[in-house]
Amino acid sequence: MTWHMDGGLATRYADGDLDATLAASVEAHLLACAQCRGLLAPQVPRARLDRVWDEIAEAVDSPVPGPFERLLRLVGVRDHTARLLAAAYSLHLSWISAGALVLLFAVLAARETTRWGLVGFLALAPIVPVAGVGLAYGRGADPAYEIGLAAPYSAFKVMLMRAAAVLVTSALPALVIGFALLGQNWTVAAWLLPALALTSLSLVLSRWFEPAHCALAVSILWLAGIAGTNLREPSLAMFSTVGQLGYLTITVVSGVLLVARRKEFS
Amino acid sequence: MSVVVEGLTKAYGRSSHALNGLSFTAGVGVNGLLGPNGAGKTTLIRLLATVLTPDGGTMRLLGRDPATERSAIRRRLGYLPQEPGYHRGFTVFEFVDYVAILKEMADRRARHDEVRRVIDAVGLTDVSGKKIRALSGGMRRRVGIAQALLGEPELVLLDEPTAGLDPEERLRFRELISRIGENRTVILSTHQIEDVAALCARVVVLKDGRSAFEGTPEELRALAKGHTWLGEKKGGLLSWRTGEGVFRSIGVPPEGARLVEPTVEDAYLLLLGEAALVAAG
Repeated sequence: MTWHMDGGLATRYADGDLDATLAASVEAHLLACAQCRGLLAPQVPRARLDRVWDEIAEAVDSPVPGPFERLLRLVGVRDHTARLLAAAYSLHLSWISAGALVLLFAVLAARETTRWGLVGFLALAPIVPVAGVGLAYGRGADPAYEIGLAAPYSAFKVMLMRAAAVLVTSALPALVIGFALLGQNWTVAAWLLPALALTSLSLVLSRWFEPAHCALAVSILWLAGIAGTNLREPSLAMFSTVGQLGYLTITVVSGVLLVARRKEFS
Repeated sequence: MSVVVEGLTKAYGRSSHALNGLSFTAGVGVNGLLGPNGAGKTTLIRLLATVLTPDGGTMRLLGRDPATERSAIRRRLGYLPQEPGYHRGFTVFEFVDYVAILKEMADRRARHDEVRRVIDAVGLTDVSGKKIRALSGGMRRRVGIAQALLGEPELVLLDEPTAGLDPEERLRFRELISRIGENRTVILSTHQIEDVAALCARVVVLKDGRSAFEGTPEELRALAKGHTWLGEKKGGLLSWRTGEGVFRSIGVPPEGARLVEPTVEDAYLLLLGEAALVAAG
């Protein structure tokens, strides 16, 4: 290009009044011509320059989130909620995959050994979300827990959000695997209410104890109950209607206690 | 005054009193907290950070009562714990962004601008895209400082930020902390007496959960005037052989010793007496 910009052309370019072809030609010239860049610089409003620079910095510097965070954003979770969830170890894809794999093996065993296998699957299925919730927050599970405690964001809200996300990410694969491999029998979903009851109970207990310890304690209690009712032959007594009503009661009472004592979690 | 503490008590269990009627005040500038292990420094910092609640006494932080206005205080507070944990899989940017979210910065663009600002303030812009697990210990500490600066807090609490750092990193931190303290209240808990002498406008020495001294580093140093000796013989309350082969003694003069100008460290050791010996092992 042999021509140079004059004042009028520089003003029209700075104001965004040039058509795309001429603007592209000017930009190609500006890359190689310090004289014209010097002519243009005073014409561009400072505020516009800052705004453009901010947009470039935002696009370049903002990190590309991890796969789980991207997935959450894809299903409509807001970016800051997605970041708070992605920080939880038990919401990493490795943990979710491991939980699903354990349940897959349990279901495959259930297919081979009929009733013992089914009891095994129903006993294990609630443990996966309980363990996940126990490792989703708290001093032992969240490296930045102490920093978070001194921040204004509600610790109770973080705890509930992560617990809900863990329940969804562990319950969905369990339901899908169970129904797909064991058939359309509602017994396959009999672990769901126990899972809710154990999870909510461990959340209530975490007011006083480390969440991971609470999860361990309620899991041991649960497995002891299963073992006690299956000493001689495989039994689904823990999943009877009366049992399910009991789990529902525990879930509701724990929920009420959580809401009533929410301030104590912060 | 940004921090006013009166008669503060905190116990762990029935017999272990971490704080035992502590009173002190702190205003704009760097305020040092000195004391041996177990003197109650970390407990005090955690109380000021509203992470713990006291058993007794009163606190006013930034003119507010933490018992009833905790969230309002937390919005104006920056806190670097003694052992800050980091999500090591996060990059520097992601981690600081994570803390910014916990500080209720909901607007993404404004939050990211603030994250970039604090990362730049601690000189980590070049590594902001690096995973935290790939950073050195000193750089991780700077990430910790960066998150504490989010939202231009008026009160910054730093618990042993220079522990375990090499001399170059410590100098860098001194420069950084002095800059932070230019227009806000910084409470710096430390074992490093040199840091206090170099940085702090005021210093509080904790002993057995109480304030044993409150004043300027120069006033602290003056406590040891007339009590610091150099001589051929060992003596006094505390005594150690220097690099020149003579004994530096604090307290009662050993025979033939001559009086020398004290340092802040001499005064600190004189103040703590037996506690200093226990802390030194």
